[in-house]
Amino acid sequence: MIRASKTEKGCGYMNTEIKIRHLNQFYGQKQALKDVDLTIGRGMFGLLGRNGAGKTTLMKVLATLLPKSEGKISICGVPVESAARIRSMTGYLPQEFSMYPNMTVYEAMDYLGVLSGLSREERKSRIPGLLRKVNLLDDRKKKVKALSGGMKRRLGIAQAILHNPKVLIVDEPTAGLDPEERVRFRNLLCEIAEERIVILSTHIVGDIEATCEQIAVLNEGEILYHGSVAELTAMAQGKVYSAEISRKELSELKKKYIVTSMLTLGNNVMVRFLADRTPFESAHSVEAGVEDAYMYLMRGERGEE
Amino acid sequence: MMFWTLFAKECRQTVRSLIYWLTVIILSLFFFSQLGDIEITGKPVKGQEDYGVKYSDDEQIIMENTLGRLAEEYCRETYSTYPIGFHKSVKPDKDENRRIGDILEETAGIRDRKVIEDLMAEHYNKGGVIMTGMAVRPVKGLSYEHFQKLMQEVDDILGGGSSYAKDMLKSNAMVAMTYEDAMEEYDTLIEKDWLTGGYARLFCDYMGIMLAILPVFLAVTRGLRDRRAKMQELIAVRKASAAAIIVSRYLAMVVMIMVPVLVLSCFPLAESIRYASEAGISMDYLAFAKYSFGWLLPSVMTAAAVGLVLTVLTDTALGVLVQGIWWFISIFSSMSGMGGGMYGWNFVPRHNTVGNYSGFHNNFAQLAANRTLYAVISVALVAATIWIYAKKRRGKMDIHGKISANRKSKYKA
Repeated sequence: MIRASKTEKGCGYMNTEIKIRHLNQFYGQKQALKDVDLTIGRGMFGLLGRNGAGKTTLMKVLATLLPKSEGKISICGVPVESAARIRSMTGYLPQEFSMYPNMTVYEAMDYLGVLSGLSREERKSRIPGLLRKVNLLDDRKKKVKALSGGMKRRLGIAQAILHNPKVLIVDEPTAGLDPEERVRFRNLLCEIAEERIVILSTHIVGDIEATCEQIAVLNEGEILYHGSVAELTAMAQGKVYSAEISRKELSELKKKYIVTSMLTLGNNVMVRFLADRTPFESAHSVEAGVEDAYMYLMRGERGEE
Repeated sequence: MMFWTLFAKECRQTVRSLIYWLTVIILSLFFFSQLGDIEITGKPVKGQEDYGVKYSDDEQIIMENTLGRLAEEYCRETYSTYPIGFHKSVKPDKDENRRIGDILEETAGIRDRKVIEDLMAEHYNKGGVIMTGMAVRPVKGLSYEHFQKLMQEVDDILGGGSSYAKDMLKSNAMVAMTYEDAMEEYDTLIEKDWLTGGYARLFCDYMGIMLAILPVFLAVTRGLRDRRAKMQELIAVRKASAAAIIVSRYLAMVVMIMVPVLVLSCFPLAESIRYASEAGISMDYLAFAKYSFGWLLPSVMTAAAVGLVLTVLTDTALGVLVQGIWWFISIFSSMSGMGGGMYGWNFVPRHNTVGNYSGFHNNFAQLAANRTLYAVISVALVAATIWIYAKKRRGKMDIHGKISANRKSKYKA
């Protein structure tokens, strides 16, 4: 595991911290998480990895939906085994969710509010404010079944922070959203993260780049990287090249190097790829982005050069 | 506080569900078709054409009527049986017929078909309304015990479910009531049953059939709604305890089903009030409510609990199948005791008459034990549901996941 020096910013808040020590998770014979060690402080925390890397498993363990097989986890000082206490201070938005289709937006919030133990007054004062925050106040009388994918996601966030949890766990929240909605959704999460820990899992690098300061990269159940986005990018500095090549040369280049992006320009192609040193004359070194850095990180896992 | 708010919300959800209104409609249709035209039978008047029929307890009459029936069926060589509630004609082979003939001769002293045909002609050509079957006198000195034993042998030959089985013998002894009999029944109804008791039992008899199955549909759809709406995880991670979630749902189901039951009971109650005021007799206004809670509530509780526990356990509609089978078996196995008084431990105790107060009164302890048993069973099932739900929301018991995972792996293979 590559570990960058941890920035303390955002973790100073006393007891707003998630500590995961030597977490191993098994599904029968299969090991979904391998010796995961993480400390997560206040602010946005991104969990990046391919589909099936173990992100959802980790989030479910934190949300008390799965019992941990081995290791220690505490959320704001409370061991994860105390499910009732953990539940009252965490909010969770699963990857796939919906609500009773015949309920209105307000009713669904009210119902979940009762399940969170909120009094009538608390629900009355909090729900309209939250719906405004997620831009659903005007739709409060709409039935859940009439909501679009993006609206449903926003309602999902509102329900997850209804009881003002210290920790918000969001699993792949931008999947299926259009680009505009995705940006709005990220901004919303950033706003929410000002007061609490927000853990966001995604396989979309762009989501993390725009919002998270601290990230962890999971691969086949193992933490491959834990640190800041800037440090991850720094790791790939000087290893990213750009060149304009002919289409014919493209397949040759792809065999040798990892191409992180390309742009067709008539008969030529502008490629961006990873290399340890200058590969050929016409290639020039460019500044690394998170996506490049992620690909660079994953390269080692693929057993490539 | 949280519990009652949840309960109110569950009731609201129930009222808005299609399955609830289907339940109410089926219950109402059943009520109006079976009991809608209920009329209070007035005081018998001397010289009435008939006073109805009753089952006799007299061993001599039981023997006579049973033997009359046996002689008739022996003569036709075809026997009616109801092995699982449905009619089945049984034609025994030569040897079996000969043995039945032996038994008939031993008990009634006849076996010649010609003689039996004459007896039948005599009985059925009397003119007037023939309410009861033919009676044949048993031979002198035949003890009731020996008679029972031989009849059971006939039942065994026929494969069971015939009118000759030990607990069915009484149902052969249907006799016409005399004015005195009718008067006695009426007096019992007014004095001991306060008029409404008898009608409340009849109400419970019919409604009990439907309430032993309908609540399971409500429970299963409620349980499956979370999964269908993809809301299981949103609920699982909330602070509310498993007990608060499950019990509020269960209680809402039971209460919402009892409401239409009590509303429907107002029809025979109104009819009783009308009759009582006309006849100037006092009546028990609360009988329908008392009987509904004592008799019907345990059925509703059990059917709902079976649905709830199996849905939470398996995330499937298995509850409907299980309750359906149990209901079917219960209905048919309690048919022999339809007249009331033979409640046993059957899930659907029957009492398909306004009369037979003595049957009810003498077996009240059995009925009370029966109903208590089912109430206790349903409470135990709800407790089990809470336990299962608490485990499942922590991911410690994923039966549905395992089923679908198996399916997937088989599919791949």
